[in-house]
Amino acid sequence: MANRTDPLAKSIHGTNPQNLVEKIVRSKIYQNTYWKEQCFGLTAETLVDKAMELDHLGGTFGGNRRPTPFICLVMKMLQIQPDKDIVVEFIKNEDYKYVRILGAFYMRLTGTVTDVYQYLEPLYNDYRKLRRKTSEGSFSLTHVDEVIDELLTKDYSCDIALPRVQKRWTLETTGVLEPRKSVLDEDFEEEEEEKEEEEQAALEDDTHEKDYHGRSPTRDRERDRKRDKQYRDRDRDRDRDYDRDYPRGRERDRDRDRDRDRDRDRDRHRLRDERDYGRERDRDREWEGRDRDRDRRDRDRGRRRSRSRSRSRDRRERDRDDVDHRKRRARGSTSPHRRPEDDINSREEQLKKKKEKKEKKSDGTDHPDPEIAEANRLRASLGLAPLK
Amino acid sequence: MIEVVLNDRLGKKVRVKCNEDDTIGDLKKLAAAQTGTRADKIRIQKWYNIYKDHITLKDYEIHDGMGLELYYN
Repeated sequence: MANRTDPLAKSIHGTNPQNLVEKIVRSKIYQNTYWKEQCFGLTAETLVDKAMELDHLGGTFGGNRRPTPFICLVMKMLQIQPDKDIVVEFIKNEDYKYVRILGAFYMRLTGTVTDVYQYLEPLYNDYRKLRRKTSEGSFSLTHVDEVIDELLTKDYSCDIALPRVQKRWTLETTGVLEPRKSVLDEDFEEEEEEKEEEEQAALEDDTHEKDYHGRSPTRDRERDRKRDKQYRDRDRDRDRDYDRDYPRGRERDRDRDRDRDRDRDRDRHRLRDERDYGRERDRDREWEGRDRDRDRRDRDRGRRRSRSRSRSRDRRERDRDDVDHRKRRARGSTSPHRRPEDDINSREEQLKKKKEKKEKKSDGTDHPDPEIAEANRLRASLGLAPLK
Repeated sequence: MIEVVLNDRLGKKVRVKCNEDDTIGDLKKLAAAQTGTRADKIRIQKWYNIYKDHITLKDYEIHDGMGLELYYN
């Protein structure tokens, strides 16, 4: 009786709100002591008190999958269904970061797409540390903006499958959302102007070396402020993607210059950028050779990550990647997306790739027994050593 | 290389080829690729002994052809 949803509650995404959590996780929560003792008869107000006592977030942990208090409170919120105003209050409050995350999580589960982006994106600017309980039971360090990023890009978090939201740029093109304006934008523009001035000065003065260490002091301060470089760059990469799309007609040249400069500095971080919409932008860029390589690497990585259930699809993907492999298996067809091999740039890269592939073959993917070769391919895609 | 059989007694019986020095976590990933569930949803047991992710098959003395129970989290 205590586990039934409030009869006045609306259905979320076409189902009883509690069904957003899977059956097994739900049962674990219902059997949990925290749920039975603390979460009994909670209302929206008393829920706030409980939320303020939270000190970590997470899903289920341990061998027998015990739920964390965080996820019990998420369940409670789904059960009582607080008003949107209350949830927005949770998100907007600055003092208690776990209350914020709780609100954001609930909003992600139950809100409409526009609401999700509208309320969660300001939290990108929050860099506070969070404690996260991993599924092994130990704690790991994370930050508010990392969690928000995970909520907005991944489809599974804290042992709950998140409802699908469309990609941001889809919503931008349909005009539902404004293009994202990041807090870092002003800093970029400042830096851009300073670089232009530097270049002008360099043209005038021959001995003046282009000193990229001479970055603006605001930028250095900014770097100290940010905790983790990788996540800062990820954020910046995302901004760059939006910026490139947005002023398409008017300021295209300016943005191209800006992007070219940024490319030089952040090429190495680009490889780590795994977002889908980054790939579309790649095609627009000028440096085709490098882009193609990166494109291929990103796409390949994306392909491997996609859960390919059927083995034949795995095999086909590998064939697309490896020219030798294709010849050996006599599969003549190439996918339409395959770049033409007459291009000089890509030929050089193909040679490079062949060398890489040759090393990879010592992985065992060319084993005479097709079953074992198949298994080794799967293992390589998961990042495991080949079979012995 | 050994082959382990994972059976959930509800119709899913999976034969997974793996090395002896693979961990249980790796075995779960391989099983997930074959069954189609997520790796973190799988629990491998042997009669109330829940096998932990970071321990190798060799340490659990799992041999070729051995059957393990497949449960879900």
